[in-house]
Amino acid sequence: MFILKNAWISITRNKGRNILIGVIILVVACACTVTLAINNTANDLINSYESAYEKELTISFNRSNMMKDVDFSNQENRESMREKFNNISSYTVDDVKSFAESKYITSYYYTYNISLNGNNIEKAESTSSNSSQGNRPNFPGGENGMPGGSSYDFTLNGYSSIESMSEFIEGKYEMTEIAENAWDIAFTGNYVFINEELASYNNLKLNDKILLEDSDGNTYEFEIIGIYKENEESSSNPMSMFSNSANTLVTNADCLVAIANSNENIKGQIDPTFIIDDYKNADKVKEEFYSKGLNENYTVETNEEEANSGLTSIQNVKSFATTFLIISLIIGGVVLFIINMINIRERKYEIGVLRTIGISKVKLTMQFISELLIVGFAALMLGAGIGATLSKGVSNYLLSNEIASSESQDEKVRSNFGGPGGGFNPDGGAPSMNFGKRGIPTVQAYDSIDAVVSVKVIGELLGIGLTLIIISSLSAMISIQRFTPLTILKERS
Amino acid sequence: MKKEKKNIENKVLLSIQNASYRYSDAENDEYALRDVSYDFEAGKIYAIQGRSGTGKTTLLSLISGLERCTEGQIIFDGKDLKNINLDYYRSHEIGIVFQSYNLLPFMTASENIILSMDASGIKVPNKKEEALRLMRSVGLKDSYADRKVLRISGGEQQRVAIARSLSYNPKMIVADEPTGNLDKQTEQDILDIFKKLAHEDGKCVIIVTHSPNVCEMVDQVYDLKKVK
Repeated sequence: MFILKNAWISITRNKGRNILIGVIILVVACACTVTLAINNTANDLINSYESAYEKELTISFNRSNMMKDVDFSNQENRESMREKFNNISSYTVDDVKSFAESKYITSYYYTYNISLNGNNIEKAESTSSNSSQGNRPNFPGGENGMPGGSSYDFTLNGYSSIESMSEFIEGKYEMTEIAENAWDIAFTGNYVFINEELASYNNLKLNDKILLEDSDGNTYEFEIIGIYKENEESSSNPMSMFSNSANTLVTNADCLVAIANSNENIKGQIDPTFIIDDYKNADKVKEEFYSKGLNENYTVETNEEEANSGLTSIQNVKSFATTFLIISLIIGGVVLFIINMINIRERKYEIGVLRTIGISKVKLTMQFISELLIVGFAALMLGAGIGATLSKGVSNYLLSNEIASSESQDEKVRSNFGGPGGGFNPDGGAPSMNFGKRGIPTVQAYDSIDAVVSVKVIGELLGIGLTLIIISSLSAMISIQRFTPLTILKERS
Repeated sequence: MKKEKKNIENKVLLSIQNASYRYSDAENDEYALRDVSYDFEAGKIYAIQGRSGTGKTTLLSLISGLERCTEGQIIFDGKDLKNINLDYYRSHEIGIVFQSYNLLPFMTASENIILSMDASGIKVPNKKEEALRLMRSVGLKDSYADRKVLRISGGEQQRVAIARSLSYNPKMIVADEPTGNLDKQTEQDILDIFKKLAHEDGKCVIIVTHSPNVCEMVDQVYDLKKVK
């Protein structure tokens, strides 16, 4: 008890020095509180963003790997390469379902594409010749990139679920007209969304039925339940009268798989997306895919880089805060250490007297540390209060920017689906639409930031502050161990 | 060396037996103090005298537990100082009085005395009252209690230092030139206090001194010779 009493006497005796120490700790505490609060807020935002951003795994054809040894100047090589290319075994819907059975995959969806000709509709084209093949994807096993080696009027994109409708989510396509019950039936049968240019070209409207046919003359009937437009900025061919998607029909994957299964001459192309539990497991999943028969000319890739790119600014803020915290601690620690050294030299005589009357080195060290802890604790608490006031403003500023950015993105996605009041009702309509699954973070949970300077932050601040005080007290501890009372008193005499 | 040794074993409080001291950075044969043997009894007042460089202060620092002898041993109350906690020894068994008083200047007279009580952990119902009593016992008025020690005279500071050394009722008082900075009259007053402590209170008082006056008043004088 007398250690604390002596410490208090010493504090009140040396007001100037202790106020100086208090101010230094106060400044460090302020800086710590602000930076810890920013760090915690940034971590919350990053966690929120990462949890909203699905960890995707996609399969793509590795052309560069196949082409690396090809000499196109040699006719034989070209033929051999073409044959090799045509012989690559693609994967089927069943393969995708088999791949998805991995314990690391939480869900999956896919698109399924086929091409058909028009029966009672004409393709939208600016010339009478059949030249609009640029919108057709290149498929292994088909001439000019088309399945079966033939050219078709229309490309049908079938989606397995609403989460797979990336063009709408990303804003490339935007619904302009939609049937009232469109989202109830879109994934249940032969229903299509068509481009507004194609609709206009053929004078088609909602609920009209169109007939498409395959190369063998089999016909397939589809009902139009929505009309979409391709946003101008997405159209790549400025010389074309029509947009790239003018002859693209959007439907569900199941009906296209059924059509492809009914005629072996129809070559479908599946494009799956797997949601994995953690990027760390991506390599294990890849190994599983190849062991289940995925051709080595396909690569399996994650969207980790893309996901992280959205966090750059917040991670920069966090990194800045961390650097600022470290610099503050180093400067504060060094200054405190020096003040303590001066303090000890000034109080050498006092140490000598106290040691002479029998106060042990341990008790004396405790007294000096207690002095610093009393001043330091008061300064830390005051600094935490001031820091809390400052950090709230700084963090709220960061958060409001983040919310504004995310809400704007969210609103745009809803608009692309014909919402908010039109064809899509997120609360009552089917199916459920979770935009977060395609990389748009949910932001409603962060409209307030009152919890920024939390118990955790105060705890961290106290931990850092007290560690700093104890480390800076090392000079006192070492000096007290070194000093012999007789030497001190002799010097004094 | 003048040495009187009483053979009453049970009265010996402190026994120095062939004690030598060599500084850590000294040559092998360079001693500050060599082969000293003295006994000190309770209820007696001793003087240790000698010319400069004879090791008086070194001997005092060994007796007071500020240093440990490098050879030989010092037995206090039957225990070798090498085997006891010297912090405890200084705060309970022995009171030290310095020529330059060594009081804490930022404290009052009574606070200096109370600090010493606190260091020893002695249980006293009212420490301030006890400090006043001790101050009275060394001839200081109560009005000095709350004065900063720098505001009182050298003789008065020395009295405070003696009162501080008595605050935990030690068995032995060691004083290093306690009257070196004082005038004749004050020197006499301080010596009277020491005599009283030895002869009436039964304490063992050891004074390191140059003063012939002090040597005349003590019960026994040990004369230290320079180490050859």
